[in-house]
Amino acid sequence: MTTLVLVAHPHLADSTSQQFFKASLPATGVTWEHLDAQPAFDIAAEQDQLRQADRIIFQFPLYWYAAPASLKAWEDTVLTRTFVYGDHRYPLAGKELGIVVTTGMPAKAFQRGGVEGQTLDALLAPLAAVAHRARMTWLPTLAVHQFGYLTEAQKLALVVDYQRYLTQPQPDTLANRQAWFADRLASMVQGLTPEQRATGELIATTFDDHRSSLDELTDTLAMIKETEDD
Amino acid sequence: MTDDQWLHDQLQHLARLQPKFTDRAFWLALDRLVAEQDQRREQLQGEIDGRTWRPDRW
Repeated sequence: MTTLVLVAHPHLADSTSQQFFKASLPATGVTWEHLDAQPAFDIAAEQDQLRQADRIIFQFPLYWYAAPASLKAWEDTVLTRTFVYGDHRYPLAGKELGIVVTTGMPAKAFQRGGVEGQTLDALLAPLAAVAHRARMTWLPTLAVHQFGYLTEAQKLALVVDYQRYLTQPQPDTLANRQAWFADRLASMVQGLTPEQRATGELIATTFDDHRSSLDELTDTLAMIKETEDD
Repeated sequence: MTDDQWLHDQLQHLARLQPKFTDRAFWLALDRLVAEQDQRREQLQGEIDGRTWRPDRW
């Protein structure tokens, strides 16, 4: 799977959260672009990147309940009517569109009765409408609230949550999570020092056993339910 | 020591040994996933036991 990450941020170098995301990018399968760093958008190249990607991520801090201006400029320049739907070819159809948004307010602020009084889903409606028009699949948003207040443990958890958001098949079920880790386990074990590798291999084997035993239990339960239906 | 506890300890230990932040994150996340697997296994086993325990069909 190929993922295209488009970052809208006017002061990227000063943003600890954006630098954190950049350092957390998976080693392969992801193209990363900073929209504000483009002197002018190369429309053909941008559209071509979109055609190549299976999943497209808009990543930005929430500024006055919307994305920074560079994302809108990119939309207005690159997403031409002819490209998106005008010639009835819908080149973006079936691709996934995900949003990684950071906010200065906590999660609880984004609900009716909360300090902001609006849900993030409501605020992101214009982007969801674009996805709908382009016949794309809208992914549940990855919102990171008050990055500066996260503990070290929460930041470590966010590394993998972010990587999975970029590259794991949706929906985010236990089965898909297990498959994502299983795909990476062998190369992670290879990356260990020789002294650690035996432990890594044992962990990988035990993880596989757990996964198979879950599959078996799920099958057994399905069988029981089937007989009960008779 | 149970199999689950052993795996948890090994994953935590391995994570601590990783100099790279992202590698440490991977092993810790795998530890959380394993805990989730254990919980799901218990729930499935419980549901299977519950559905199999049917005195009305004895």
